[in-house]
Amino acid sequence: MVSLNSVLLISFLLFSIGIIGVLIRRNALVILMCVELMLNAANLNFIAFARHSGSVSGQAFALLVMGFAAAEVAVGLALVVALYRKRDTVQVDDINLLKG
Amino acid sequence: MTADMTLVHAATTAASQPSTLLWLIPFLPLFGFLINGLSGKKLRNTKVVDFIALGSVGAAFLLTLYHFIQLVGLPADGRSIHQSLWTWFDVGGARVLGGLSTYKIEWAYKFDALSGAMALLVTGAGFLIHLFSTGYMAEERNDGRYYRFMAYLNLFVFSMLNLVLGANIMMMFLGWEGVGLCSYLLIGFYFDKEYAAIAGKKAFVTNRIGDFGFMIGFFLIFMVFGSLDYDTLMGSVREISSLKSITLFGITHTPTWWFNLIGCCLFVGAAGKSAQIPLYVWLPDAMAGPTPVSALIHAATMVTSGLYMITRLNFIYVQAPVALAVVLFVGALTAFVAASMGLAQYDIKKVLAYSTVSQLGFMFMGLGAGAFTAGMFHVFTHAAFKACLFLGSGSVIMACHHEQDMRNMGGLRKHMPWTFLSMGLATLAIAGIFPFSGFFSKDEILWKVFEGWYHHGAYDGPALNLVAWILGMLGAFMTAFYMTRLMIMTFYGDYRGAGHDPYHLTVPSEAHHAADDHGHGHDDHGQHGHVAPVAHGHSDHGHGPTEVPWNMWLPVFIFAVFAVVLGFLNLPQSLEWLGKVSGIGNDHFSKWLEPLLYQVTAPEHGHHAAPIIEYALMGWATLIWAPGAILLAVWIYGMDPSWSKARAFVTRFPKVFEWVNAKYYVDEFYEWAIIEPLKRFSAQLWSFDTWVVDGMVNGAARVTLLWAELMHWVDEYLVDGAVDLTEYIVQETSGVFRGLQSGRVQHYAFVMFLGFLVFAVVKFFV
Repeated sequence: MVSLNSVLLISFLLFSIGIIGVLIRRNALVILMCVELMLNAANLNFIAFARHSGSVSGQAFALLVMGFAAAEVAVGLALVVALYRKRDTVQVDDINLLKG
Repeated sequence: MTADMTLVHAATTAASQPSTLLWLIPFLPLFGFLINGLSGKKLRNTKVVDFIALGSVGAAFLLTLYHFIQLVGLPADGRSIHQSLWTWFDVGGARVLGGLSTYKIEWAYKFDALSGAMALLVTGAGFLIHLFSTGYMAEERNDGRYYRFMAYLNLFVFSMLNLVLGANIMMMFLGWEGVGLCSYLLIGFYFDKEYAAIAGKKAFVTNRIGDFGFMIGFFLIFMVFGSLDYDTLMGSVREISSLKSITLFGITHTPTWWFNLIGCCLFVGAAGKSAQIPLYVWLPDAMAGPTPVSALIHAATMVTSGLYMITRLNFIYVQAPVALAVVLFVGALTAFVAASMGLAQYDIKKVLAYSTVSQLGFMFMGLGAGAFTAGMFHVFTHAAFKACLFLGSGSVIMACHHEQDMRNMGGLRKHMPWTFLSMGLATLAIAGIFPFSGFFSKDEILWKVFEGWYHHGAYDGPALNLVAWILGMLGAFMTAFYMTRLMIMTFYGDYRGAGHDPYHLTVPSEAHHAADDHGHGHDDHGQHGHVAPVAHGHSDHGHGPTEVPWNMWLPVFIFAVFAVVLGFLNLPQSLEWLGKVSGIGNDHFSKWLEPLLYQVTAPEHGHHAAPIIEYALMGWATLIWAPGAILLAVWIYGMDPSWSKARAFVTRFPKVFEWVNAKYYVDEFYEWAIIEPLKRFSAQLWSFDTWVVDGMVNGAARVTLLWAELMHWVDEYLVDGAVDLTEYIVQETSGVFRGLQSGRVQHYAFVMFLGFLVFAVVKFFV
C-alpha cells in the first residue's frame, strides 16, 4: 500500500516539473504539454485524497478535470496552429504584442 | 369721431356715383408694366411688347372715355364717379386741430370734372405718344432695351393716373412720387451716357426739394383739417376759415395766415414738379431722355401736375392771398425769363424745353390771378400743341440722323410735309394767333391778370397784376419769336446737312442726345465728334432727310388738329358772337369746372358787358403783337438765309448773347451758391466721419487687437505651458512602468506564480 505522503510527493514533483516547464520553455507546444503535467499532478492529488478519505467525489473531479483538459488541449492546439499560420513561429519569445 | 371733436366734417360726398370699373383705368397700364417689365426681356418679338403696352393704355383710354361720357350725362353739381378699393392705412389717433382724428386713408379713385378731363388727357396723349414711340424707338428693338422703355412709359401712365384720379392727397402724393421716379428712369434711359445719368439725377434731386415743400404743405392740411379727402376738405373749409384763430405747434394765427403758409409750401412742390423759378433747372436737362418722353412727361402731362394740384386745392388758395400773389409773380417771372432763354438756343429740344417752362409760367399766372379755369384750360391746349411740337421735333431729329442742332438742319419743309404742316399749325397755336387754341387760352390768362389791375375800370387793383401782365405780354412776344425762329431754321431755306452749307452756318455736330450709340464713340457732353451727317453706321444714312413712317407723323398730326380746334371748347364770354355764329357756345370748359371751384362769395351769374379794353387787348395781341413777333423772326432769319442780322446783333452785343445763350448762368450760380458749399460741407462731414467716427471704430478695433495679442500670449505660455507640463510629467514617469510590460506571457505567469507563492508562504507560516 503506497502511503499518501509518497503519492503527494510525486504529485508535487510532477507539478514542479510542469510549472518550471511552463515558465522557462519557449515552445508553445511544450508549454501546453507542461500545463497537462500540472493538471495531471492535480488529478493525482484528487485521487490520492479520495482514496485516503474513502470518498469518490475526488475521483469524479479527476474525471471532470480530464474532460476539461481534453477541451483545453483542443482549443490550445487550435490556437497554436492559428498562431503558426499567422506568425510562422510557435516560439513565445517572438510574440510580445503586449509590450508597453 | 371722439366726443371732444369740435369740428364736424361736412359730408359732401352726397351726389357721387359708385363705379366698379374705375380702378381699371390706372391699373391696366400697371398690368402692362408688370407684364412687359417682367417678361419683356425674354420676348423675342417686340411686337408683343407693342401690343401689351399700347393695348393697356388704349383700353384705359376707352374706359376713361366711357366714364367721361357717363359724367357728361350727370347733373352739373353731381358730376363725380368714385370707387373705393380698400383702406390703405389708418391714421386714427393722430392729434389734429379738432381733437383726435379717426381718419382712414382709402385707396380710392374719384372721377370728376377735373380729374376726368386730366385722365382723358393722360390716356389719350399717352396712347398717341406710345404709338409714336413704336416708330421713334425702332432702333432699340434690336438691342433689348425696347421693352424697358415701354414698361417705364406704362408705369408712368399708371402713376400719372393715380395722381389725377386719386380721391385724397395721399393718393396724389403716391402718383406724384411715381411720376418723379418714372421721369428719373426715362431721362436716364440711356444711362450708359454720362450726361443722361446726370440729367436724371438732377431732375430727381430738384424734385425732391419740391416734394419736401409739398409734404410739409399736406401735413399742415392734415393738421388743420384732420382729413385728406378732397370732398371732406372742401366741405369743411368754410367752417375752418370762419374760426377766429388757429393754434398749432404753439403758434396762434388767423386761418388766412395758415392757408397762406400751406399754399406757399404746396407751391414749392408745384414749382419743383412744374419747373418754375427757382426749381426749373432740371427740365431743360431732362431733354437727355428720348423725345417721346419729353413730349409725354416733360410737356403734356407730368409737368402739369403742379397746376392740377393747385386747381384741385383751389379752396385753400382762394383764401390765401399771399400764396396766390407768390404764384402769380413766380409764374409771370418764369414765363418771361424762360421765354428769353429760348431766344438764343440752337438745340431744337432745348428751345421747346424753355418754351415749356415759359408756358407753365403762363398757366401759373392764370392760377395766381384766381382764374383757375383759364390756367387749367391752357394746360390742355398746351398739352396738344407742345406734344405736337415735341413729337415733331422727334421726327425731325430722327430724319436728320440724330442731329439736334438747328443750324445743321433747314429746308425740311420739302422732305417732311406732314411734320411741317403739323408743327406749323402748332406754332401758330402757341404764338396765339386767332383762332388757334393758344389764342383762346393764353389771352384769357393775360386778360384775367390784367383784369385784376383793371378792376372794372377803376385801375386800382394790385400793381403786381400789372407787372405780371407786362411780363406775360413780353413773354408772349418772345414765344412767337422763338417758335418762328425754330420753324424757319428747321424747315425753310435749304438743307444744310450733307456738306451743303453756302453760308457756313453749320457747327460740328454733337449728335449725342438721342438714341445714338452706333459706334460714334461720343462719351462726353462737351466733345465734338464730327460734322454731321457724315457716314454713320446706318444704311439709310448718307442721303437727305425723308418723311417719317405713318406711326410717327399720324400722332403728330392728331395733336396738331387738337391744337387747332381745342380753343373752341372755351370761347370767352366777350366773344359771344363767335359762339353763336359757330353754334358752339361759350365757356364750356369754365362751366364744366365751375362746381369744383370754391366760391368765397356767391357767384355772380349776371351778364356783364365785356369792357371795350378787353377787345382792344385781344385785337392787339393777335393782330399786332404775335404777328409782329413772327414777322420780326421772318425778317431776321427767313428773308436772309445767311442770318447776317442775327450775327450782327451778336457781334454788336456779345455780352447779351452770351448771357442769354448761357441761360443767365443760373446753373453756374446754383453750382457756386448751393451745390459747391453743400459739397464742401459734405467733405467736412466726410472728414469728420473719417477721422472721428472711423477713428473711434478703428481705435476700438486696435484696443481689441492688443487685448487679443495679450490673451494669445497668455494662452500660448501659461495655459498651454500647464498642459504641456502635465503631459511631460506623465510621459517621464510612465517610462518606469512601461519597462514592466515586456509583452511576454511567461513573465506575467512567473509574476503570478511568485504572487501565489508569497500568498502560500504567508498562509502557512504567518
